[in-house]
Amino acid sequence: MDIFNELMGGFAAAMTWQNLLFAFLGCLLGTIIGVLPGIGPVAGVALLIPLTLNLDATGAIIMLCAIFYGTAYGGTITSVLLNTPGEAASAITTIDGYAMTKIGKAGAALTIAAVGSFVGGTVATLGLVAAAKPLGELGLLVGPPEFFALMVVGISLLVALAGKSMVKAVISGALGLLIAMVGIDPVAGAPRFTFGMDRLLDGVSFVAVIVGVFGLSELLSYRKGDQPAAVHAPNFRSLLPTGKEWRRSAPAMARGTGIGFGLGLIPGMTGSVSSLLAYGAEKKFSRHRNELGKGAIEGVAGPETANNSHANAALIPLFTLGIPASPTIAVLMGAFLQQGLTPGPTLFTEHSEIAWAIIASLFIGNLLLLVLNVPLVGLWTSILRVPSSILTALILLFMVIGAYTINFSVFDVFVMIGFGLLGLALRHLDIPLAPMVLTLVLGPLMERSLRESLEISQGDFSIFTSRPFSAVLIGLGLLIVFSPLLKLRKPKALNEDPET
Amino acid sequence: MTTESVTAKPASPARVAPSVLAGIGAFAAVGVYVLVSSIELGLWTSLGPGPGLFPFAMGAVLAAMSVVWLLQELRRPSETAEGVDRGLVIAVVVSLAILAAVMDLLGFQLSMFLFLMYHLKLRGGRAWRSSLITSLAGSVGAFYAFNFGLNVSLPVSAFPLLNTIGL
Repeated sequence: MDIFNELMGGFAAAMTWQNLLFAFLGCLLGTIIGVLPGIGPVAGVALLIPLTLNLDATGAIIMLCAIFYGTAYGGTITSVLLNTPGEAASAITTIDGYAMTKIGKAGAALTIAAVGSFVGGTVATLGLVAAAKPLGELGLLVGPPEFFALMVVGISLLVALAGKSMVKAVISGALGLLIAMVGIDPVAGAPRFTFGMDRLLDGVSFVAVIVGVFGLSELLSYRKGDQPAAVHAPNFRSLLPTGKEWRRSAPAMARGTGIGFGLGLIPGMTGSVSSLLAYGAEKKFSRHRNELGKGAIEGVAGPETANNSHANAALIPLFTLGIPASPTIAVLMGAFLQQGLTPGPTLFTEHSEIAWAIIASLFIGNLLLLVLNVPLVGLWTSILRVPSSILTALILLFMVIGAYTINFSVFDVFVMIGFGLLGLALRHLDIPLAPMVLTLVLGPLMERSLRESLEISQGDFSIFTSRPFSAVLIGLGLLIVFSPLLKLRKPKALNEDPET
Repeated sequence: MTTESVTAKPASPARVAPSVLAGIGAFAAVGVYVLVSSIELGLWTSLGPGPGLFPFAMGAVLAAMSVVWLLQELRRPSETAEGVDRGLVIAVVVSLAILAAVMDLLGFQLSMFLFLMYHLKLRGGRAWRSSLITSLAGSVGAFYAFNFGLNVSLPVSAFPLLNTIGL
């Protein structure tokens, strides 16, 4: 009852016309980012942070969350219509989605994908509502040593799961932590790695770094011939699926919801793993499995539901424990911090109204996307007809504005350029970018909790092993890091995932 | 070479690519630099851990991982990624740097207009009309949209002459 009241209060706060407008704009922008093949969700969310700078905290986070799950929807559209996934997580949808387009059932595929995404997203958000209070209360018992151990677990999972080589993932993580350390040291107040530049005393701008490493470097790594194929208007017989298609989709959606929800909770798992596994589940359990690959509706319903369920479930560790589960969520966490909100257990005690308003807005946003997605298909495909030279110029324009407006200084534009080149080098060396984003955001929090712990124990490192909860977590972290030695296997899809 | 003949797998390239070596060298150098400078910052104070402790650990990790990576590469060189389109990289990076350098002087509208025209007309080879419309929308349009719509002000020119005509 208590939770219900809080949630209703959240709905009341989220339903102001401004917040509804922010949710709507976020969904729209997120879908556009999802549709455009050139720009991924990480850079997309980072790029749009400046748009929210002058909004109040609730509105800003509502908009950014909507952008975040809007990208998960948008990726589907191009997968189904063009056979080119807008996002990695929708790659598997191309198989049956595009096959359905070829037999004139694009409308049904898109509608089922939108409904599936709505179901997955809503169920995962219900999970967040249920988990918020108990996990948050548990989180309040956590002191600096436990908090440090928790972050060690999160980072080791991401390092272990990102890319092909753990050595390279660790390098990426260490680089992120070092970049986060530039500026005034949070405890003693000494300047570190500022090279005598006053501008660096406040540290390097997080947005400029992310936009450079993820956005600019991606643009720089284009080669001729990377341009997507010409867009043809899809062939619609009807947007509405038949009764049979609904009946066949329902079990696939149920399986997809479960898979996406479970994997979304684990840091380091990306949406692609969820959608791939959901496709695999359909291949194994669906009654129509022999039709998969030839335009079976299950092949769209399962992965698309899983993808969105994953995206929303991944917010649970962020809201309750303050641990971002994926690079995109890390960027979202950076936006929270920029607004003066620290995600985690204290969010529900210190900013309860904001937290519940955001959760309520997740329900609204999922509904908005369902309403927006299908009727606006014509608009989405026309975006794809914009020539790539115009698109590149406009993306560059947004990157410059994004980097500049964080501190209203061209210095940050130069920072973005520098990190764009670094990102290009890292891509060339096959070093995964995901651990770097995560440690960049978590770095300052991690260092503070480490030093606070050591001050409590007067320099004795055994504080991390003598407290049961932190001992378990540290043990878990070590187990994860040394998992290659134990020959534990990780999902193959993670090796190829551009999001890692 | 002896280690290679013992452990090398078939069909792997024989030599470590120069770009990979340069990368490893750079990471090792950064690691060592961080190690040295964090000792100067102070690893430990009478109050507990000092400002250099955490960077020291990270520098050590970075340096150690570079060594491990080098050993891995010597044993089995990785395939290098495809090269980049140098023309594109240079054009984008240099134009961005020039834009950032002159933005405070010329103001956002004029500098962004020129930047967009360069990318649309000169590099993109688009028609005059479409280039002009897009560049005007992206410069003057974006300036007013951000200024009045989002309350975010973009820079105006430092030259009084340009400033008075609204640029």
